[in-house]
Amino acid sequence: MTDKHNTTHFGYKTVAAEQKVSLVANVFHSVAAKYDVMNDLMSLGIHRLWKRFTIDCSGVRPGQQVLDLAGGTGDITALFSKRVGPTGKVVLADINASMLNVGRDKLRDLGLVNNIEYVQANAEALPFADNSFDIISIGFGLRNVTDKDAALRSMFRVLKPGGRLLVLEFSKPEQEWLSKVYDVYSFKLLPAMGQLVANDKESYQYLAESIRMHPDQETLKAMMQDAGFAEVSYHNLTGGIVALHRGYKF
Amino acid sequence: MLPLLPQFICAVAETAMAKLIAMDPDAKPRLARLAGKQLSFRLKEWPTTLVLSAGNDSLLFNQHDNSVDCAIVTDMASLRLLRDPSQLTRLIKADALQIDGDIQVAQQYSHFFQQLNPDWQQRLSLYVGDGAAHKISQSLLQWQHYLNEKSRALAQMGGELLQDELRVSPDKAELAQFSRAVSELAARTDVLQQQLATCRES
Repeated sequence: MTDKHNTTHFGYKTVAAEQKVSLVANVFHSVAAKYDVMNDLMSLGIHRLWKRFTIDCSGVRPGQQVLDLAGGTGDITALFSKRVGPTGKVVLADINASMLNVGRDKLRDLGLVNNIEYVQANAEALPFADNSFDIISIGFGLRNVTDKDAALRSMFRVLKPGGRLLVLEFSKPEQEWLSKVYDVYSFKLLPAMGQLVANDKESYQYLAESIRMHPDQETLKAMMQDAGFAEVSYHNLTGGIVALHRGYKF
Repeated sequence: MLPLLPQFICAVAETAMAKLIAMDPDAKPRLARLAGKQLSFRLKEWPTTLVLSAGNDSLLFNQHDNSVDCAIVTDMASLRLLRDPSQLTRLIKADALQIDGDIQVAQQYSHFFQQLNPDWQQRLSLYVGDGAAHKISQSLLQWQHYLNEKSRALAQMGGELLQDELRVSPDKAELAQFSRAVSELAARTDVLQQQLATCRES
């Protein structure tokens, strides 16, 4: 969240709002090549089930227009692409060119080419017409956005009436004991794994810090409601380590 | 139920089905005929709805409760019988099977699965070579044939045995009559025992 002096969080650091975009970009330029391997390692593959759960809650149908925002290496896009079929379309959007390139190569290798478009875009100012998409998903991306409220408003604008937004993001564990275990894992193991596999400890230190600075379930729900979304609800996954928020535009 | 278990099952089923479809060269044209049709499936013992939807070249598995073309609800015991179309009416009458929507969609999916014929030999040959793959495949076929024969012979022998046994075994009325005769004999023996005891005392 930005404050009135135009500063924001970058992990636990306070930085100028305009600086965050480039700092986050550096993180993702650095981790893009090993992003999928690290995701599998860090979550023991469970991130695939979280993403599937997101698809199950999306109500996606053949022929629909879907925006996978902060889509990174395209896991959610791949799932949507098969489900909207040749008459539908999925737009994989990410602010980071390196992530977008990795995603494009991966999806092409999977043979998913016909109904996917790639757009380098800032979530705060989406370059799409009003009421363009039936579904918007943003998976593990919102916490990296500088002005989350502006991003949510932008998503609301491009969503069609009746459409739904799905925000899959790290959140606050429901149980105290899980929170403690998760802290040890995030601040001790995660940076060490990042160093070992991706030769990049700082980026994974940032990941752990950015998760702690991200709004909890209820706060994010209120933010979505403020942006105009109706019937906002959330579903905790893996004890609240991750939460899926869902809201509609009516 | 474990959270995310339905998603895990869907992921495994989708991956396995993609591999099977890739191994059957005739599967994709048959799958294309199902494109866009959705079939949901729920077991009474496990209250989670799994939804199958066919794309042009893949079969997708999801878990949701949205509307579909055909919805099937059944139980574990009836699951095996679903393969036999002649059983469907009986199962529906017995409340063991509920079908909502277009039954033809269910039949088309059933037909697709029955016709799925993955070319295992071709896939195996990538790892062990053509000759070995052929030999392994032939041996497995012989084993399958042998086991099918044995199981058929066992079923036939069991059937004949039961029929022979049925011929010599007493029916309900005979069994009741025999039971009555035994009771009468027991009563007469009791009386005889009492008479003997009286004689001994006098």
